[in-house]
Amino acid sequence: MGTEAAFLAPVIPAIAFALILITGRRLPGIAPYLALAAIVASFVVWIVVFLAFLDDGAGTRSIEWFTVGGFEFTWGTTVDEISLVMLGVVSFVAIGIQIYSLEYLRDEPRLWWYFAVQSLFAAAMMTLVLADNLLLLYLGWELVGLGSYLLIGFWWERRPAAEAAKKAFITTRIGDVALLIGFVLLFRATGTFDISDITQLAHAGTIDETQLKWALIFIFGGAAGKSAQIPLHVWLPDAMEGPTPVSALIHAATMVVAGVYLVVRLFPIYNMVPDALDLIAVIGLLTALLAGVMALAMTDLKRILAYSTISHLGFMMLAVGAGFPGVAMFHLLAHAFAKASLFLGAGSISHGTGETDIREMGGLWRKMPFTTVAFWIGALSLAGLPLLSGFFSKDEILLAVHTGRLNDGFLVVTFVAIAFSVLYTGRMLYRVFLGQLLSSNDDAHEPGIRMWAPVGVFALLAAVLGAAAFEWSHNYLGFVSWVTDSEEGFHINAAITGASVVIVVVGLYLTWLIYVQRRISATVISRRLGFVAIAAERKFYFDEVYQWGINQLVLPTARLTAFIDRAWVNDIGVDGPGKTTRWGGGVLRYIQTGMVYNYALGMVIGAVVLGVIWWSV
Amino acid sequence: MLELVHFQILSAALFSIGIFGVLARRSAVLVLISIEIMLNAVNVNLVGIAAFSDRAADVRVFGQILVVFIITIAAAEIGLALAIVLRVFRNRGSANVDELNVMKW
Amino acid sequence: MTAQLVVFYLLGAITVLSSLGVVLTRNVVHAAFMLLVALLAVAGIFLVAVAEFLALAQILIYGGAVTVVVLFAIMLTRTDDQPRADHSQRPLAALAAIGVFALLVVAFVASDVANLESATGVATDAETGFENLALGLFTDWAIPFEMASLVLLVALIGAIMLARNVEDGE
Repeated sequence: MGTEAAFLAPVIPAIAFALILITGRRLPGIAPYLALAAIVASFVVWIVVFLAFLDDGAGTRSIEWFTVGGFEFTWGTTVDEISLVMLGVVSFVAIGIQIYSLEYLRDEPRLWWYFAVQSLFAAAMMTLVLADNLLLLYLGWELVGLGSYLLIGFWWERRPAAEAAKKAFITTRIGDVALLIGFVLLFRATGTFDISDITQLAHAGTIDETQLKWALIFIFGGAAGKSAQIPLHVWLPDAMEGPTPVSALIHAATMVVAGVYLVVRLFPIYNMVPDALDLIAVIGLLTALLAGVMALAMTDLKRILAYSTISHLGFMMLAVGAGFPGVAMFHLLAHAFAKASLFLGAGSISHGTGETDIREMGGLWRKMPFTTVAFWIGALSLAGLPLLSGFFSKDEILLAVHTGRLNDGFLVVTFVAIAFSVLYTGRMLYRVFLGQLLSSNDDAHEPGIRMWAPVGVFALLAAVLGAAAFEWSHNYLGFVSWVTDSEEGFHINAAITGASVVIVVVGLYLTWLIYVQRRISATVISRRLGFVAIAAERKFYFDEVYQWGINQLVLPTARLTAFIDRAWVNDIGVDGPGKTTRWGGGVLRYIQTGMVYNYALGMVIGAVVLGVIWWSV
Repeated sequence: MLELVHFQILSAALFSIGIFGVLARRSAVLVLISIEIMLNAVNVNLVGIAAFSDRAADVRVFGQILVVFIITIAAAEIGLALAIVLRVFRNRGSANVDELNVMKW
Repeated sequence: MTAQLVVFYLLGAITVLSSLGVVLTRNVVHAAFMLLVALLAVAGIFLVAVAEFLALAQILIYGGAVTVVVLFAIMLTRTDDQPRADHSQRPLAALAAIGVFALLVVAFVASDVANLESATGVATDAETGFENLALGLFTDWAIPFEMASLVLLVALIGAIMLARNVEDGE
């Protein structure tokens, strides 16, 4: 079994999905274990494929699906460094999530459906990352969107959850339309959907630049939707209405990074159009900064984590825009495990205290020490505390911005964004875990092993994965160069690294002063900042603007369309012939006078007319 | 000189008169009588053709043979038709065609 | 103006006038008798065209049987109030009849059938003749002849069935 067996990874969960659908209602008990078995099998496939890859190198495999007019649609898999990283992350994190869900959703009556969709999602995500052609990728893309919708709206009886699911789907749909346009434009420019063919054409430099530019811009639109970049980020915070394991899996570690994955995959052609990379970098940095500011203003723990996710996705895009897709992948890896452990930890906290508002928390380290440690590791990793994995990935990002194709202005703003990430992290950690324990949280407790174990494992990985950044041998020059197959080894710029460490220390100390020692008042600061603070709290009014747009533009258009459909298409077009025929019949029936002589007259006159016509012709 | 066209014009006249009778008369019996006139018009025409045609004699006589058949069928038809009229008269109390309008809208 | 033509015109006039009487008179019985006159005049026309057998058949069948049947029918379908003999369609019917007449006349006059006439006028006795009629009816047209008699039989039975009074158990 070599790299060709990779296709099993998505296929097995797909089979599990089908099986669970069939048996779910009648045998709800086996559904979780079917799903779990499938995802473990996928992980095993990953191990096998990875080992085969180390021996044999990259490989592809494709099967023809159907042919339309000389064009062939194929199911295919591509196994290389990028897809292997993604596949490993997806399958491993999914295992942890599903085990966690067994405990977290223990009393849920619709558990079988939850695990069915989890399997569907896993299959779709793996299809996406393994896809060797853009159409298959799009198929997986859409299906993960469906899985996200179904899982966000898992508790659809709750109005906010249903609304959030709709919002997620519609927002990413806008991105998906752009994505499809982009793919079609790319097809027009290159003549193929096959990714490796496109890459080869890119290296040969034979693609038309203008067509390519527009294709790439649209494709990035799709990536921005899925990866919650400004301005299509609005769905991710609302997606927190779904169960917490869902947030951990889909909205932290896997689905939202699909956009990053896509631009990394297509980096060879993005590299040909500097304007596109500029766009990615600008959007990414803007997202990183604004989301970081908004995270500082949130009071719901999961919302803080959501905005943090958006911010880190921005950092990943920034790395791509700087010309370093490998750095983006590294941060993706570090962020995935750290965020997964953070979300699961948040789930443990809400499970143990019944709270999600950080104003109702405090001093939880006394009651939930394990969760505290794991949470701190994950959070500080993402804040960039030295020697945790996030420190190395953030450092790589800074290096990329400094040495890459972007100018120094970007570097300055990046530092600012990093500063904010430290600030909101400190605020979150101190408010939730330190300080006084509220009496309402007296009975807070650690959850069962099925919940704390995944949290711990992910936190551990978040801690140690930084080691992957280093050069360990001749063949392995560091994670970044391994992923992109480049010759550049791992190195450190002392000034930049030093600056980032300083930011981390200062930020953590500052928030210590504000939230633990209460020497500086947060309310005074926010009053001083006045309008900016209010805007941040209101999430910079994105939702309000969009709602206005919907109310003023979309809904009137919809009403007009509905009117046209009802009045013209239905009443006139469809009912019209029927009603006209009936009316005509109602008029014509008076010809049937019942008097035979009337009919005879008609016959005679008709015969005479015919005779005249025939005679004259 | 007597020519075929005389017979034909007579036939046309009788036929038209018959049509007028069919379309204008109220009593069913009168309508049937008018039909008889029409049939006789046809017979006149056929006999004329039989008399004036310049084909061989045994072919020409077909006109008269046809008249035989027409007379036969006309007789059969009027017998049957009048029986029907009697029936209708008994069921509906009237033999006037403008009072027999059940199959109307 | 041969004698033939004069006789033809005379008989033709009688036929047309009596037919007009049939369709125009108010009295139904008068109409029946005018029919009889018209039919007998047609028999005369048959004689002019040297179709003696047909003239005979016409007198016997039409003059005899048909007129009697019609008179019986008139007798059996009389109602006391007969205010009108014609109905509202009368003008249109006249129009239609005139239209038919015009069409037919034009067709007859303009068509080539007129050229079929023999130069010698009406065929003489020896050329049409009773013999040929009989030969034709019993050889070439024997089957239609038999069928015609069958039709008569069926019509007879049908008429009897239709016209009888319904009695119980029959």
